[in-house]
Amino acid sequence: MTVAVAVTDSAEGIAALASAHAEARLRGSGLLIANLRLNPLDDAEIPRDVDVKVVEREPGVEVGDHVLRLLDDHRDEVELLVIGMKRRSPVGKLILGSLTQELLLSADVPVLAVKVA
Amino acid sequence: MTQTSEASRPPSGGVADAPGPHRRRLKMVTVVATFGGLLFGYDTGVINGALPYMAEDLGLTPFTEGLVTSSLLLGAALGAIVGGRLSDRRGRRRNILMLAVLFFVGALGCTFAPDTGIMVVARFVLGIAVGGASVTVPTYLAEVSPAERRGRIVTQNELMIVSGQLLAFTFNAGIAAAFGDAADVWRWMLVVATLPAVALWLGMLVMPESPRWLASMDRFSDALAVLKQVRSAQRAEAEMAEVKRLALEDKQSQTGGWRDLATPWIRRLVLIGIGIAIIQQITGVNSIMYYGTQILTNAGFDTNSALTANIANGVISVLATFVGIYLLGKVDRKPMLLVGQLGTTTALLLIGVFSIVLPAGEPRAYVVLSLTVTFLAFQQGSISPVTWLMLSEIFPLKLRGFGFGLAGLTLWLTNFAVGMTFPIMVDALSISTTFFVFVGLGVLAISFVAKFVPETRGRSLEVLEQELHARFSDRPERTVA
Repeated sequence: MTVAVAVTDSAEGIAALASAHAEARLRGSGLLIANLRLNPLDDAEIPRDVDVKVVEREPGVEVGDHVLRLLDDHRDEVELLVIGMKRRSPVGKLILGSLTQELLLSADVPVLAVKVA
Repeated sequence: MTQTSEASRPPSGGVADAPGPHRRRLKMVTVVATFGGLLFGYDTGVINGALPYMAEDLGLTPFTEGLVTSSLLLGAALGAIVGGRLSDRRGRRRNILMLAVLFFVGALGCTFAPDTGIMVVARFVLGIAVGGASVTVPTYLAEVSPAERRGRIVTQNELMIVSGQLLAFTFNAGIAAAFGDAADVWRWMLVVATLPAVALWLGMLVMPESPRWLASMDRFSDALAVLKQVRSAQRAEAEMAEVKRLALEDKQSQTGGWRDLATPWIRRLVLIGIGIAIIQQITGVNSIMYYGTQILTNAGFDTNSALTANIANGVISVLATFVGIYLLGKVDRKPMLLVGQLGTTTALLLIGVFSIVLPAGEPRAYVVLSLTVTFLAFQQGSISPVTWLMLSEIFPLKLRGFGFGLAGLTLWLTNFAVGMTFPIMVDALSISTTFFVFVGLGVLAISFVAKFVPETRGRSLEVLEQELHARFSDRPERTVA
């Protein structure tokens, strides 16, 4: 079994990765990282004490679809999806949409939404 | 669109190209494709000399003058977006063939336009071709050229654009001198643009498709066949791996999109890109490229002398482009941009001042001419080349398609706004006040560059990316590192 996590280029992304790592250790499962950044993750950011797989974005695939496809491809393995969340203004939502909302509504696995203090 | 960054790479697989008939073939490809750049320049520049006659013949007001000039630029904004997509989907060669037809049809439409409405539509169609050429021709050229010569061949396209404008200014003056005061003289100026369109179409019929595009469609044997036409046999084999890698890189450059603007450092980077595009146009360069003849008439030349004097504007643009290309290799980008902005802003300030203190007449006309020439020297010798290079350098690979596309669109729309409002502003505010407005915008542009634009020269894209990331990120561990 594995814990999936969506890592964005923000403090929320880092928090999500930390929580997912803790969950994976607790459950003794692997970690499936959907990298939503435009750069690869830093080596130092990738946990070494659990089984990790990082999946990069494909060209022309929206961030939300990237995560949902990953869940689809690992249908019977993923037991939990971890995402970071923060408040987005109505205008921001209008322009950029809300990844959190999309994943909460569309993922068919339990979702853990992590906030940054 | 990544040509410039690739230019410095050594020849692929260490195999240098050997002389042979393929060299002539490659030269042929370059010449034919740059007709696209020439048309771009001619069609944007021709309005400069045609407008005074057209305004009289069609009874144009300042508003419709702006519309006739700038509907082309609105078309170009559309053409740049659609053209980029089409050339990715259907191939560079087919796209350029289609653009040649549009260039031809648009030019004929303008030539025979009986009234302002049809003229505006025809100029819009022509604009679609101009915008399409602005993205497809440099891409095609970069993709057929060997890596070590890519930079030079692509700047050759820039040169063809300003040469096209010079050609238009020269033909305008020549035709006006030959036909004198005939009402239709402007139609002859416009119809000349059909000739390079025919040459482009006929030439492209026998030109090969881009090997990189073929590779991106997984047509590897076709790609190799094309490479063998434009490289020595040994070099062609060696280069296939690189072509495949670049095709993959191009695909990756299309990864980022709107949603990535949620990340603060990317949002700022894209805003800087948009800013660089705006300040290239907001200098008002195209008020001179499109309305130069009128500015000179306004200053005291009669129409015929103004048309001839305007050729100086074209000549300096071509010369300055040479200088600019040379300087790019020697000088840092940011100071070059700042000096350029200072130069153009000062020249405009002086035009405004002298337009007030000197009475209209030959002396003022010559002063204004020397200042427009000075302006263009700074614009084409520094601002314009730096703009294009910086836009190709500042975006991280996966954002390049989106970032460059958005900046390009902004550039055309700003160009449109300047082209549209210039005659209206001159009419409502007088020419000196109009130039003072551009001076004010120039001052804003200078502070923008000083404050926000990063230096991109002499750093690999990777290093630059990390630095920008650290500067604009809210992710704690990166800012510390």
